Amino acid sequence: MQTTSEIQVLDPTVEPDVQSSFLADRPESLDGSIIGLLANGKKNSEELLQYVCDTLSETFDIERSIAGNKGNASRPCPPNLLEELSESCDVIITASGD
Amino acid sequence: MNSDILRFPSEYEAIQAFIDRGWTDGMPIIPPTKPRVDLFIDYCGRKPDENLGVEPVKGRTITVQKVAINSVMAGCLPEYFPIVLASIEAVLEPEFNLHAITASTMGAGVLSVVNGPIAKEVSINGSTSVFGPGHRSNATIGRAIRLCLINTTGSKSGEIDKATLGHAGKYTWCITENMESSPWSSLGEDRGIANNSSSVTLFAGLSPTQVSNHSSTDPKTILNSFRDALFAAGPSQGEIVITLCPEHAKHLNDAGWGKIQVKDYLYEIAVRKDDEWGVGSIPPGPKPQGKSDTHSAESPDSFTIVVAGGNAGAFSNVIPLWGGGSNSRSVTKPIN
Repeated sequence: MQTTSEIQVLDPTVEPDVQSSFLADRPESLDGSIIGLLANGKKNSEELLQYVCDTLSETFDIERSIAGNKGNASRPCPPNLLEELSESCDVIITASGD
Repeated sequence: MNSDILRFPSEYEAIQAFIDRGWTDGMPIIPPTKPRVDLFIDYCGRKPDENLGVEPVKGRTITVQKVAINSVMAGCLPEYFPIVLASIEAVLEPEFNLHAITASTMGAGVLSVVNGPIAKEVSINGSTSVFGPGHRSNATIGRAIRLCLINTTGSKSGEIDKATLGHAGKYTWCITENMESSPWSSLGEDRGIANNSSSVTLFAGLSPTQVSNHSSTDPKTILNSFRDALFAAGPSQGEIVITLCPEHAKHLNDAGWGKIQVKDYLYEIAVRKDDEWGVGSIPPGPKPQGKSDTHSAESPDSFTIVVAGGNAGAFSNVIPLWGGGSNSRSVTKPIN
């Protein structure tokens, strides 16, 4: 029951729709792997990912890399590009390169 | 889905708690009691749990009741509520790219331009000090949109909202056009809304740049003053807003120019060699290469002309849009 001075108000916020998800299995080694490099369209994103790939190549015997670029940092990756990379690669690395 | 009820010892403590929880723009709000919120919902005749849309990244469902709560908080009157509802429906359209414009370091505000009879009915100012304070409907409709973004999309400063600078329009930014002084059709009519119907058009607007020209009545001389402001927005803008003050609009119209001539001329003059554009200062969009010409706008139709402001003074402005005016598109909605 509301007392004389007590005030009851409505919550203005909306909670996110939390869905359970999972991380992809982490390979024990990248030796012999095909690495996907998915850039987000920002300037330098391709260079950053190539640098990461080159650094990993110093430690692992990477078979090759496949570069992709979703072209627009503010939009989701086009489904066909995501499908193509996931079918062709053992591991995909993505990053912003502002 | 009904909103949770929160209890506080007093109205003052409710206001303090809302500020402390980051549920306001930093300023005090009207506490959204259920009777106050119900007045808004009853006014629009829609169901409180009606789903207006889903925020695209976090999956937050935005209902009529949540928008009403935030409209009460902003200080709106119930008769403003249809404008706020239409505005929220507009920003939820995919082409507006809501998550990006509220999260980006580019720091966009949400500019709403109301047209049609409702603008006069709720006393929205389109005249003197059009972007300034002093008018409840301008101040609180724009604020309600911002509070909705904070509370229903989680766009809080420093959390989802990562704006490097932002600007004052992020507090509130709602206007109408000065149709008593405009020689041309309204923005609503330009977007296909009948002139006896009401509409609101939403833009993801960046900081405006004021343009001054008191010395000429010649159309070309007036519009030449816009070149530097247009260059500051970057090349190949997909959309860009030009607010023409009544005095400039009158001089243009007196010389026989309409909106088409204005757009064509602005497109024609705001052009320079690609290597004159600041390297690295370019927002998303086509990147300048080599020595060819690049215009500030993608085409003459990239310009949206709005006539607003006081009848005295020769000050107009340029409002660039987020993402080069191409990654977020303006959206017009009828107001029911």
